[in-house]
Amino acid sequence: MSPELERCSRNLLICEKSNFRDERARYDIHVSKHFFNYKLSMVIPECASLPACIAGVIQTFSSYYRVRDLPVYKFLQEDILQKVVKNGHFYALSYNTRIDEDNTIAFLPSGHLIMSVNKDTYEQLGLEGKPSQYTHRKVQRYVVNVDLTDKSMTPGAKTYQRLITSLKEWVPLKSDFLISMKMTAEDDGGALQTLLSQYSFEEYRPTLQTHTLKETPCPSLHSSNLHGDEKSCDAHRFLEWLGAVSMDISCNNEASSFLSTYVCPEPWSSMSQGLLCTVTGFLIPEDIHSLLLELRHYFDQPKFTSWLSITVHGFADSPVSWGMTEHGFLKGGENFYNFVCFENQDYWLHMATGSHDGCPP
Amino acid sequence: MEDLAAFERLVCKNASDFHYMKICLVLEKGRRNVEAAQFKQLMISGLRQLYGEVGAALPFDVLKFDPSTLTGMVRVCNSSLVKLWSAITLIGSYQNELCAFRVTQVSPFLIALSGNSRKLELD
Repeated sequence: MSPELERCSRNLLICEKSNFRDERARYDIHVSKHFFNYKLSMVIPECASLPACIAGVIQTFSSYYRVRDLPVYKFLQEDILQKVVKNGHFYALSYNTRIDEDNTIAFLPSGHLIMSVNKDTYEQLGLEGKPSQYTHRKVQRYVVNVDLTDKSMTPGAKTYQRLITSLKEWVPLKSDFLISMKMTAEDDGGALQTLLSQYSFEEYRPTLQTHTLKETPCPSLHSSNLHGDEKSCDAHRFLEWLGAVSMDISCNNEASSFLSTYVCPEPWSSMSQGLLCTVTGFLIPEDIHSLLLELRHYFDQPKFTSWLSITVHGFADSPVSWGMTEHGFLKGGENFYNFVCFENQDYWLHMATGSHDGCPP
Repeated sequence: MEDLAAFERLVCKNASDFHYMKICLVLEKGRRNVEAAQFKQLMISGLRQLYGEVGAALPFDVLKFDPSTLTGMVRVCNSSLVKLWSAITLIGSYQNELCAFRVTQVSPFLIALSGNSRKLELD
């Protein structure tokens, strides 16, 4: 058989080990730069129900909006641009647009507008962009990145006018959007409400689901050992196990079983009960950060477990993964990160991306 | 004061041994009783047709199968992914009934299959 058949596209997994109390730890930057999050799931061993303090933090998660057929230039009107898009906590991502087929648009909290568009749209737009890194021999997709905080983008400036003209007259790009914003003391979201009220929109709350795991084998982890050995399981096997418990996949199979030979990685111990909690929606990094802070305090009281885990999945069709690193789909579009928090405040951070993605930070 | 864990960073490229697939079997006349073992057997017969006895011996696991939606989670070694995918794509009938395998998600990380942002339905 041809060796070509045995090749697979590349994937990356970054594993980091550090301590939350270490001033040089960069975990908060990695969280804040992963802008568009679709789902988070927590696994807390030896825990029967969601602790009230954690449930309380999830209750405070920001609502998000789904607005229909919103023209992109509406975000660039002077009032919205100043009060909403440039306020530092605004997230918008086109909804139901596929990064490998459609035009995908995102507004980042850093004040950047990213448009990943096909060749035809790009040529009609007449804006400066770059060919996508993940195209075949012929470029079929371009990425336009506009820094809206730049001086040349102040309303009235020439470049600003050109952007408005191209999005309003040349190619009136519009799409359904998912929008979320962290409300601050100075801004109660009034300007955003005014914009939304002109279109059909709905408000949503992130959905919380909890599930109790019973009598499940659970891998043993030692915070000092990231590589995995006879005392502790390695990152890939641990992530595989997390996937198995999240999807209720049996970990007790015989090596001779016809259907599946999957078993929990060694060494393991039996967990009498565990909590699996998932939150789905358009989740913003600020909220995930506050949840992570709360999870760190979980070990303030003595517990039967020495670790807990939280996994955050990014949108497969987002034009960026971390920061402004271009993101594509190819086979799965996976981009996610996982924290394992230990009782001594050590943590492991796993960041993974698929083939059409840069290296996580 | 106790020592803080030393910072350590590992970059693993293609370090996963397996790929995971979420596969759905679609039958022409709608759903009917298919068991996990029959689902796997059908996939093996596809491998045999395309790659012969050597193909039929390729190891893969059906981690989970949901008979109500005929959807299975499959784990396969990286080197066998293309062979398995091509073989199931060419399967066209199950017990004299037209059928097709639809691959809905593929990833080198099992946990990535626990959610699909393309299926985020808000209505």
